[in-house]
Amino acid sequence: MHKSKSMYPYYLVWPALIIYFIFFAFPALIGFYYSFTDWRLDRDTIQFVGWDNFKAIFSDKVLILALKNTLIFAVVTVIGKNIFGLLLAIGLNMKLKTRNVLRAVYFSPSILSILVISIIFTPILRTEGMINSLLGKLGLESLAQAWLTNPSIVVWTIAAVSIWQSVGFQMAIYLAGLQSISKEYYEAAKIDGASAWRSFTNITLPLLLPAININIMLTLIGGLKVFSEVYVLTGGGPGNASQVVGTIILRAFGEGNWGLGTAVNTLLFISVSVIAVPLIMFMRRKEVAE
Amino acid sequence: MRVRQKVQTIIVELMLILLSLTIIVPLLLMILGSFMNNIEVMQFKIQLPEKWLFENYVTVFKEGGLARAFVNGVVITVISCSVNIVTSSAAAFILARRETKLSSFLYLFFFMGLIAPMSTITTIRVVQWLGFYGSISSVVFIYAALNMAFSIFLYSGFVKSLNKSLDEAAFIEGANALQVFLKIITPLLLPVNATVAIMVFMGVWNDISIPLYFLPDSSNWTMPLSVYNFYGMYSRDWNLIFAVLVLTSLPVIILYVFAQKFIVSGMTAGAMKG
Repeated sequence: MHKSKSMYPYYLVWPALIIYFIFFAFPALIGFYYSFTDWRLDRDTIQFVGWDNFKAIFSDKVLILALKNTLIFAVVTVIGKNIFGLLLAIGLNMKLKTRNVLRAVYFSPSILSILVISIIFTPILRTEGMINSLLGKLGLESLAQAWLTNPSIVVWTIAAVSIWQSVGFQMAIYLAGLQSISKEYYEAAKIDGASAWRSFTNITLPLLLPAININIMLTLIGGLKVFSEVYVLTGGGPGNASQVVGTIILRAFGEGNWGLGTAVNTLLFISVSVIAVPLIMFMRRKEVAE
Repeated sequence: MRVRQKVQTIIVELMLILLSLTIIVPLLLMILGSFMNNIEVMQFKIQLPEKWLFENYVTVFKEGGLARAFVNGVVITVISCSVNIVTSSAAAFILARRETKLSSFLYLFFFMGLIAPMSTITTIRVVQWLGFYGSISSVVFIYAALNMAFSIFLYSGFVKSLNKSLDEAAFIEGANALQVFLKIITPLLLPVNATVAIMVFMGVWNDISIPLYFLPDSSNWTMPLSVYNFYGMYSRDWNLIFAVLVLTSLPVIILYVFAQKFIVSGMTAGAMKG
């Protein structure tokens, strides 16, 4: 036992550990300390101020709105990306003539930069843009919206663009999951006279659990860290209607409010951990139980 | 029954084709628009350009100063990819093979990087302490670190699937861990290397947020931030904006066409194993 341990020396871990520690873990750790200080660009001294930054966050309407928007964005995109991704995967797992082309088409937006996607959608989403004129042609003028300038729907619009971009990626993971399910299960279910819906809930869903887990985890964590699509599509506007945690941190950074910005980041860290860690543990346990 | 199933399949296929227009139309709008003149493009309609203006691309490259951004992007992407692959595959090899408390703690420590958001402002402080804030090399290390969790996750899943007796045979012949890693494990890791390389390449090439914080000097910018800047400056010339967007996307599209297999299969295999 002792011998086999020493066969794998830790010096091969060091380079990765040093880079990861200095440029990721250490800044995250000292972030906790700086969250409790009045650290500013224009001041040389840094003082410990207790909970002041957090009190400031929760008494600022814009910051509360940003937290709320981030949560809405995360929930909407997790649901949208996973339901549409799963439906696409089920459809494209059937014996269709065009399925390889369609798979490539649906996957293609996820290789592009979110910057590219957001800029393409800017003219499409304008009030006089493609979507509204299409709705007009279909006689659905009443559904036309100021997609990016109406404060009450702008977050939903940005979420829709994000779903549009990454649904193909979720689809690819679900497809791999579906392809790993043996056809024999379905044949057996058919012989037993099970309906399509029953074989979906009793065979497909449970056996797809690993894919569902990984997709929910990826979309949830990605959703809470949202930044680029908001930055490019609206810059947090109109007014502050679409601010999210990511854009607030950039703003605090730009204003020199580094202590406050770090506190917002810490809050994001805690929210992500509180939501994601139990979810991962719960899903792992369920997977093992299956 | 048979007929019903066939009809069902045809209906599904038609629906999926119709739905795929929602993906195709916006992309086509960009591609066709990039060849139009600046009046025609403002209609934002799917139509062939009256005259195909290939010179839009030349204009964009000259006026946008994008050659520099392109080179920066290539340098940053290639080096951070290489650093990430070499260090994380070596680390994952040890962490997956050692079955001790320390090694599983270290694995979890790396794994946290998949969940935790980056602490941007304090990272800037650390880079300032090290005295190279604003440099391309600082960004290279940041990208290598940001993608470390994901790579180690993929590599260690794969290493665990390799039989340990491979290593043991080599150890008996007097090889050390480094030799085993380089001569036995690394060749077997090639498909994972391809997956990691592509995923990191796409992530870094497409990213806009790190340059925004870490590269105050525009001469160090990569493509996306330069494109964003161009977008602000040329907001009236949508034909040029579309041309810039196509140019930025070209490297990842080429990569995707040639390495599709590794992106989808590698990524999903890694995801499933974890």
